[in-house]
Parts: sequence; structure tokens; C-alpha cells
Amino acid sequence: MVREVPLWLKVAAGIFLAGMTLLLLGPLVVVLGVSVSESQFIAFPPQGLSLKWYAQVFGDARYLVSFRQSLVLALIVTGLASLFGGASAIAIHRRAIPGAGILATIFLSPLILPTIIYAVGMLMFWSATFGAVSFLTLVIGHTVICIPYVLRTTLAVLSESDPYLEEAARTMGAGRLARLWFVVLPQCLPGLAAGMFFAFNISFDEAVLSLFLRQPDLTTLPVRVYGQLEFSPDPSVAAVSSIMIGVTVLLLLLADRILGLKRFSEG
Amino acid sequence: MTDRRENLLLLAPGLALLALAFILPIFRMLALSVQGEDGLTGAHFARFLGDPFYLGVLWRTVRLSLLITLICAVLGFPFAYIMARARPRLRTLLLIIVILPLMTSVVVRTFGWMVILSRNGILPEMLRDLGLAGRSFQLMRTETAIVLGMVQVLMPFMVLSILGVLARLDQRLEEAARTMGCSFLGALRHVVLPLSMPGIAVGAVLCFTLSASSFVTPNLLGGTRVQMLAASIYRAVTQTLDWNFAAAQSVILLVGILLVMAPYIVSQGRRHG
Amino acid sequence: MADLTLTGIRKSFGRTEVLHGIDTVIEKGSFVSLLGASGCGKSTLLRIVAGLETASAGRVEIAGQDVTALPPEARDISMMFQSYALLPHLSVAENVRFPLRMRGIGNREEQAARVAEALETVQLSAFANRKPSQLSGGQQQRVALARAIVSTPKVLLLDEALSNLDARLREDMQLELIEIHRKLGLTTLFVTHDQDEALSLSDRVILLDGGRVAQAGSPEEIYEAPQTAFAAEFLGAANLIPAEIGPRGTATLPGGQHLPVPENMPEGPALLAIRQEDLVLSAGGKGISARLKAQVFMGSRTRHVLDLDGHRLRALSLGRPGLVAGETVRLAVDPDRIAWLPPAPTDRPE
Repeated sequence: MVREVPLWLKVAAGIFLAGMTLLLLGPLVVVLGVSVSESQFIAFPPQGLSLKWYAQVFGDARYLVSFRQSLVLALIVTGLASLFGGASAIAIHRRAIPGAGILATIFLSPLILPTIIYAVGMLMFWSATFGAVSFLTLVIGHTVICIPYVLRTTLAVLSESDPYLEEAARTMGAGRLARLWFVVLPQCLPGLAAGMFFAFNISFDEAVLSLFLRQPDLTTLPVRVYGQLEFSPDPSVAAVSSIMIGVTVLLLLLADRILGLKRFSEG
Repeated sequence: MTDRRENLLLLAPGLALLALAFILPIFRMLALSVQGEDGLTGAHFARFLGDPFYLGVLWRTVRLSLLITLICAVLGFPFAYIMARARPRLRTLLLIIVILPLMTSVVVRTFGWMVILSRNGILPEMLRDLGLAGRSFQLMRTETAIVLGMVQVLMPFMVLSILGVLARLDQRLEEAARTMGCSFLGALRHVVLPLSMPGIAVGAVLCFTLSASSFVTPNLLGGTRVQMLAASIYRAVTQTLDWNFAAAQSVILLVGILLVMAPYIVSQGRRHG
Repeated sequence: MADLTLTGIRKSFGRTEVLHGIDTVIEKGSFVSLLGASGCGKSTLLRIVAGLETASAGRVEIAGQDVTALPPEARDISMMFQSYALLPHLSVAENVRFPLRMRGIGNREEQAARVAEALETVQLSAFANRKPSQLSGGQQQRVALARAIVSTPKVLLLDEALSNLDARLREDMQLELIEIHRKLGLTTLFVTHDQDEALSLSDRVILLDGGRVAQAGSPEEIYEAPQTAFAAEFLGAANLIPAEIGPRGTATLPGGQHLPVPENMPEGPALLAIRQEDLVLSAGGKGISARLKAQVFMGSRTRHVLDLDGHRLRALSLGRPGLVAGETVRLAVDPDRIAWLPPAPTDRPE
């Protein structure tokens, strides 16, 4: 058989895969381990087994406020990004407007521009124009970052759909709004959903923009964790981090259930 | 209502948001970078380019980013290849192994590395036990720590970029190469590798730009002593409050990144045009 | 009574005009094919009838009403697309109900009854609750057909509707189309590039060439009496031989040989159209002589390529005539099977 792979190579591949798994998942496993340790100090492998750090996190008002802020932020951003990104994707997909290709590039540019540069610009612009940054600043900033993801996933599913669906709907008597609602939107849904998962995940985990736009009363969960790490990390940080990993796993399971992992990875 | 008006209506909100909350801030930053006490000035750039400390930061940023990109490519290519050719169940497992860290907050992943690399962490202990390092051996706050952490953070981008190309590659090309006398590795070297180049190139551009502009991981693993450009920008914004200087550094980073991406953007433009 | 009247339809994309003034009247209940090679403008014409394209000039009337300015959703039409354009998120029954819902035809019960009837007609009742992706290509095709007929439109438009099917399914579907047309009597405009399909399905064929009507008429008329070289070549791939018609029914061919033709042919230069199946080949019989260059045995028939004094001819015989490639053979033609065409101004390239 032509595809036969030599045995030594199979063994080498196995060792390689194990090493890569260790590299990729190691840090996450370590965080999870530290979070269930009894020790007062951060240590891995964990000494003893206890959930006391989780109890401490759930009793800490600062963490709870941050968690709520992150959650509310991510939900609002997900909604806005899918609205803006989805509508733009439909218009760009139709290619009825001259320069649709250039438009797509403009819409995707927040993806290319490093977040730190955008964060610097946003902070300076907002301070000069509107004064102190606020929750709204963060909502807008995150939405701008997340729109390209929704746009990309939505454009991808639209380009796979039958290009004659809208015309067919017209010949069957569907007016403008009926076409958007009954034909175009259902085509967009898988892409919109994938984009929403990305948007929620990115907004919930985003640290750079949130750090630059940080205010005393505006500290998202990643920023709170970052602050702890810079100064005095104790195992409660590991517990919060583990909860964040949990949220990610939950999102991935949900995404897999609804969309299939394959589509998700292509976005 | 015409089709065009409907499309413009769909496009308007997103476009307006982008113009107001993306384009304008970038211009604000560009403006600040050349703004002096009285009118235009290149002083902020001169300060950066005339100071050996900042030149050192810039050089470290470029050097480490190149190294990180190289490691990602060398490890990412075989990984992506195995993924592309693995049976479905193994492929799904490997996909999870790649995506799970990608979707986890960078702060959390960096925390993991801080534990692993700390004075009493697993890696230094192991090296000491093996006699490969002395008692005072330290990994935290070194360039090695930054490289290790960044490779883990950026590996998924490289793997997924290469996988995107490999998944579309006709497997019969390899079989054809084998029937023409190539060994397994020969087919990999002469057929798969050249054809994966577009994916590797995209992955490399991504890795380099993300690594050069990364802030959280280098800052937490490298500390104040081993600064990269993004950390220096953060410091200028939040600690020295010298926003003009921060803007100038951002422009330097932006120009560097655009230079790296230029060939890619041009080739993309050609494909669409 | 006419159900569809097109008057002076012109269409330009940018500076190129693809339709140069099309006039035609389509009778109620007839099945008309728009036939032509790709790029002849037949699909554009169909899309203008549907309202998906706007004509640069001209008028479209459906059932006596001027609809030129109306969008597709306001025209009493339905259209079947080459790609079927089934809505993937809707079930088969919901797809078929879609035009009724959009046009507000009937209440829920009436719609359900009409959907059931349409699915019955295409023999897909058992698949009503499936999604299109769970159907074979042929079944998807029939869903599209059911969806096109369910609203009993004034004009049914079919755009290369059978092109995506393999040969067997296609023949089945052609018979089904004829059957449905007979049963419902919908005025049908059918775009195709396949001459056999056009000839076998339609009451009338409109042959388009370069954005103009090359010929229109019944399938028999078009096949038997082509009026242009294009019509003769496109339908049945006839041989076109330049000739000089002499007195008393004799034509002189390029190489100097003589061929008997009907006596009423006008004297002077002409182009003779002879169908492949009308050339009778024999090893040593009567007729003009030509060299047999190659032949392909195809089961029930044999295809020949001949050289008539430097002019390439194609012939089709039943069975296996037992000729040897490379030798000179005899060609005979029934004079009544030869069609006269005006001489080409310049020689058409082969």
C-alpha cells in the first residue's frame, strides 16, 4: 500500500503528539490543579484536595462584581456585533454596491490591527472627545473587535448558499421584507450563531482593551485576574481562572452541539 | 425602495460604527504621535529611535517574534499534517486540543505558565533534578519564558492556518508521488510542504504580528526587565502618562506590522482583483 | 388568446447589447422552448419575462396586462431554476407552500390541500416532511417543479430545468413534464440548449442566435425546413455544402460532382443542408463518391466522417454498413431531404 508509514515514524509521531498536547494543555491543567489545592501558596502538583478557594471566590464581592460586568458586557457585545456584522454581511454578500470587496476589507481590518494599537487609539480618542471612559466605551470597543468574526462566519455560510434563493423567492411573490426574514436570515443563522459564539468568547476573555480602558469601578474578570497576577497571586486566582476555563469549555460544548466543531474551527 | 437603498440601509450602522469608533481613534493616535507643544514634531519618534534602551526593546521584539514564529512553524506543520491525515476521531480530539487553549483567555494561560516556570515550578525543578541547571537557575522574567508562553499562545493560529490548506490538498498527490518513487518523508518534503506554503505563510504573518503586538503574556512572563514593545507602550500610557510617546511607539509597531503584512495583503488584493 | 406577448425586447449590459429586439406571442396553454447555444441571450430573455432583469427597451405583457415595470413578486408567474433554489431550511411541503404563503393564496387548509395535490402530481407525497438535503437530485428537481406549479401561475418559466440531471432521469422527467403540461395546461416557457429536449417537449420552438430570433415554429417546421444555416446546423447538426444549382434539378458540388436536387430549387449559388441520417452510404452503389476517413461503431448506429473533395461531411447509418475506413464509398441522398439555404456570404468556419 502506497500510504504505508514506517513504524519508527508512527512511534515518533505519537511521542510528538504527546509533547504537543502537553505544551498546549499543560498550562490549563496546572491552573485547574492549583485551584483545588489545600495549600496557602500556589503550588503544582496540588497538595491535598479542597474546594475552599472556590468558596472564597464566591464569597468575594470584587470577583462577583467583575464576573457580572464581564457577563453583561459579553452579552451586549454579542448582540450588537451580530446585529451590525450580520446586516453588513448580507449587504456585502449581495455585491450590489460598488466596492463590496473593499468594504469587506475595511470591515475585517479590526481583525488585522493589533488590539493594543486599537486600545491606545480608543483611549486617546475617547478621552479627548467624551472625557472619562465608561462601560459604554468598552461595549463599543469590544463590538468593533467582534464584528469581523460575525461578518466572516456569516459571509462564509452565505457564499455556500444557493445564489438564486432570493430570486426564486421573488418569483414566488416574496416582497423585500419577506425575503429578508424568510429567505436571507435563515441562510445566515448558522454563520450568525458561530459568530456569536466567537463574539461572546472574545468579549468575555478580552484583556488588552479592557486593561487600557480600565476604571476603578470597571474591572472585567480578565482584568481582575491580570491585576492579581501582577501583584499577589494566591490560589483563589486559580479558582477564578478555572471558572473561566469552565465557561470556555461550556461554550465549546454548546457550539459543538449546535454547529459542529468543524464549522467552528473554520471561522 | 430600491435594492441599492436596502443594501445601504443594512450597511450603514456597521459602517458608521467603524468610522466613528475605529477609524477616528486610529487617526487620533496618528495625530498624537506627531503632536508637540507647538505644532507638528517628530520629537517622539526621535526620542524612541535615539535611545539605546528603546532600540533594545524594538530589537528584542523583532528577534523574539521571529523565533516564536519559527518554532510555531516547525512544530505546527507536522501537527497540522497529522491532523489532516488522522482518522476522524483522533482528528476531533486534536482539534479540541488546539481550540480549547485558543478559546481560553490569554490571562489564564499565562497564569498557567507562571506556575510552571516559577522558582519552584515543575520545569525549573525538573531541570535542576536532571542536573541541567544550577541552584540559582531562574526561568521567570527571561526571554525563554516569553518564548515558551507565546509559542503556546500562538500555536493554534499556525496549526489552523496550515490545516486550512492541508484539508483542501488532494491526498492522491501524495499517492502519486509514492508511485513515482518518493519515500513517505520524500513525498512530505517534495509534495506536501511546498503546497502548504500558503498556509504556513499566513500562519507566520499571523504569529509574527500577534507576537510583536502581544502584551499580556510578555509582560507577565518577562516582567519590567525583559520588556517588549507592547509592554513599553502600556507603560507610557498608564505609568509615565506620556501619551504622545505612547502614540509614537504604537505608530512604529503599526508600521512594522504593515511592512510584514504588505506582501500578504498585495497577494490577497490580486486574488480578489 | 395570448398569455405572453413580448414586443421589441432589447437588453444591454454596459455597452454590449445581448438582445436585439425580440418579438413573440405565446398562446395560452402552449409549451414553448427558447433554444440556443450558451450566451445567445435565452436565459436573459427568460429573466426579463420573470422580472428579474429589466429590459433596456420593449414591453412584456402577461395575460394582456403590461407588466414591464412590475417586479417579479407582482407578476403572475413562477420559475424553476437550474439549481432548483430550494430553501434548505424548509421541508419539502413548506417549500411547496412558500409561493402560496407569499402570494396570499387561500387559507391554511386550502394551501395544505394544494400542496398535497402538487406533491401528488410529482409523486413525492411520501417525502413531504423531509428536508431538501435528504433528497436525491431527481427528487429535488420534482420538488422544484411542484413548487412552480402549485400556484397555477399565468406563465410557468423553466430555466435549463433539466440540465443538472443524468441522461436516464432526464428522459423520465421530460415525459413527466409533458404529462403535467397536458394535465394542467399551464402556459410554459422553457429555456434549453438541448435541441432534442426542445424538439420533443414543445408545441413551438424559438431558436435564438446572438440575441435574435433565428427561426420560430413548430418542431417539425424547424427541423424539416431550416431557414438559416444556423438553424440547420444547430438542430440535428446537418452538413452544409456550398453548391451551384443548375437547371432541371442538378447541383454542382465544390469538387465538380453532380447531385440531383428537387427541380423547384432556384438556380444559382446555394448552401445545401443534408442531415447526417439522410446520407446513404454504400461500397459500390449509385451516387457521388467520397473518401471514408473514419468511422465509429456506436451499437445501434455507426457514425462516419467523410471527405468529399476536400469538404468534410458527417453521416450516420443504422447498424453496421460494412465499410472500410480509408476507401472510397458512394453517397446517395433522396432529393426531397435536401434543404435549400441562401449561400453564405463568406465561408463559415467548420
